[in-house]
Amino acid sequence: MVKKALNPLKIDFKKCIVEDCLLQIRNEKNLEEPELINVWTIQINAKDSKLLIDFIRSKILDEDGIFLNHIKRIRKVEGPKKMLEVVLCSTEFAQDEAACMSLLTNCGFNYQNLSCENLIPKQGAPTKELAIEWSELYWPLNWCGNPNDQILNEYTFDIDFIREKLAQITSISQEEAKKGNKVPVVTAFVNPCDAEHPIVSTDQRSEVNDLVLDHSIMIGIRKVAEDTKLKESQLTDSTIGTDSTYLCLNFDVYTTHEPCSMCSMALIHSRVKRCIFIRPMSKTGTLRADSGDGYCMHCNNSLNSKFEVFQWIGNDFAPIEIESNLCA
Amino acid sequence: MVGHCDWMGLAVRLARYALDQGETPVACVFVYEPMGEVIAYGTNDTNGSLTGIAHAEFMAINHLQSAVGTGAEMLRLARSITVYVTVEPCIMCASALRQLGIGKVVFGCANERFGGNGTVLHCNKDASAGLNGTYRSVPGIMRREAIMLLRYFYVRSNERSPKPRNKSERHLDKTSFPLLNWGRYLEESEFVEEFGEEQTNHYANHTDVAEKINWSLVDEGCDDIINELERRCSRFVEHRNKRVKQ
Ligand SMILES: [Zn+2]
Ligand SMILES: [Zn+2]
Repeated sequence: MVKKALNPLKIDFKKCIVEDCLLQIRNEKNLEEPELINVWTIQINAKDSKLLIDFIRSKILDEDGIFLNHIKRIRKVEGPKKMLEVVLCSTEFAQDEAACMSLLTNCGFNYQNLSCENLIPKQGAPTKELAIEWSELYWPLNWCGNPNDQILNEYTFDIDFIREKLAQITSISQEEAKKGNKVPVVTAFVNPCDAEHPIVSTDQRSEVNDLVLDHSIMIGIRKVAEDTKLKESQLTDSTIGTDSTYLCLNFDVYTTHEPCSMCSMALIHSRVKRCIFIRPMSKTGTLRADSGDGYCMHCNNSLNSKFEVFQWIGNDFAPIEIESNLCA
Repeated sequence: MVGHCDWMGLAVRLARYALDQGETPVACVFVYEPMGEVIAYGTNDTNGSLTGIAHAEFMAINHLQSAVGTGAEMLRLARSITVYVTVEPCIMCASALRQLGIGKVVFGCANERFGGNGTVLHCNKDASAGLNGTYRSVPGIMRREAIMLLRYFYVRSNERSPKPRNKSERHLDKTSFPLLNWGRYLEESEFVEEFGEEQTNHYANHTDVAEKINWSLVDEGCDDIINELERRCSRFVEHRNKRVKQ
């Protein structure tokens, strides 16, 4: 983990802008409201707290996929006896009471009131004031800075490569428009294992025989699949592709226009890692909080899947504008 | 009169067929209302296509496109098509059906993770999914049959998985079903239009209009379903060719 001050990239953590040109797209509307999750809690005697901490360290911390570093594990229970209430683990890690009990066999201390009723914020609060507020409302939280600063700090960017891809799709968009394509939307799919050979696709819907649904992202996903099938057929042993149900796993996607709901969901189904777009679509876009119906498809709490989204806000690329009612 | 359940029955049998082929048991049929006949069908093909986007609805759209030829002709027909699909369309498919201008969707059970007709988002009604009008989406037709097929699938894949997750996923539940919150999908007036005044207690109580499960649809293998659907679809092609000649 790089310290914020040592990151070679210029990051404006307040405005969420990297190198003055990549704006991190988030759902500003749901930042003030925490996403809540249930956790398993137990109550123990205060004198057993050392045993408990050792137990959590050895049996839970490395195993539980839901990170709970932003909460205080232990809180006091009101009452005459010195009792503590403890967050044991997530309900994802232990799915039912039986799983909890078997986790706790031979734990070496007594416990009571095993429950999954307690709700805690899934992530730390963005400001200190909210951290205090949420601590009172839900469960005591640690304040260790805005969690998004850490997220931004840990992203990796090859700005020169990004520029090159965006320049490529922009120039193809301009060529397409010259050729008479009324919807010159262009997308490049970059495989993390083969970044030198991106798969580029263009919107096909203005071709007479093609369908209104032939958006560049849908065409691109199918092209990636065809490309992989072809490569597999050329190999004598089928070592790759044995687990290739999600063929765009961890791909970076560069696209000229903010995608529509169909295409954003297709990116989620394809498990891409990142999408960078240039032109926002104020009516039909589904990533920016102020686009369309404000879906924020990549960070919508009710859709469990997440991918990173950035908008290029430098003014070096100008893909052809399309009519605002059209879905990109 | 042919009703919602007859068309959905075909989709359920097709989903059962998909299950027997090792695919997720989700299937749909497209019904062309002026003819009262199936004109396209589809099942999930995410394994075969190597993409995560080959959902039943897209397979049916591809099928129809190869039958009618052009995208423009598809757009012309779309308003008169009702889509019967065993599981609520995901956001991608819901948006696609909207952009295509489909007239109506009827589905079995909700898609809790990705549903785009009301469970997670309302792509059939919201403004952002484009120019081609909205569509009504009616839930709850043969819902229990659709749920049972998904349960069969999960129990099977869990049996095959090297590390079964927990007991409840190994046990096949044939008797309890979650409530159906009709209000997520339909206004009460729309519900009455679809099901009649006498059923409104179900709307308020979140209960199924039909509680009895047609087990033969769920349990019997149906190798003949593809032939039957092909026969039905070919009637549409013949009908169209005749009309073009006249
Ligand atoms: Zn699109
Ligand atoms: Zn779908």
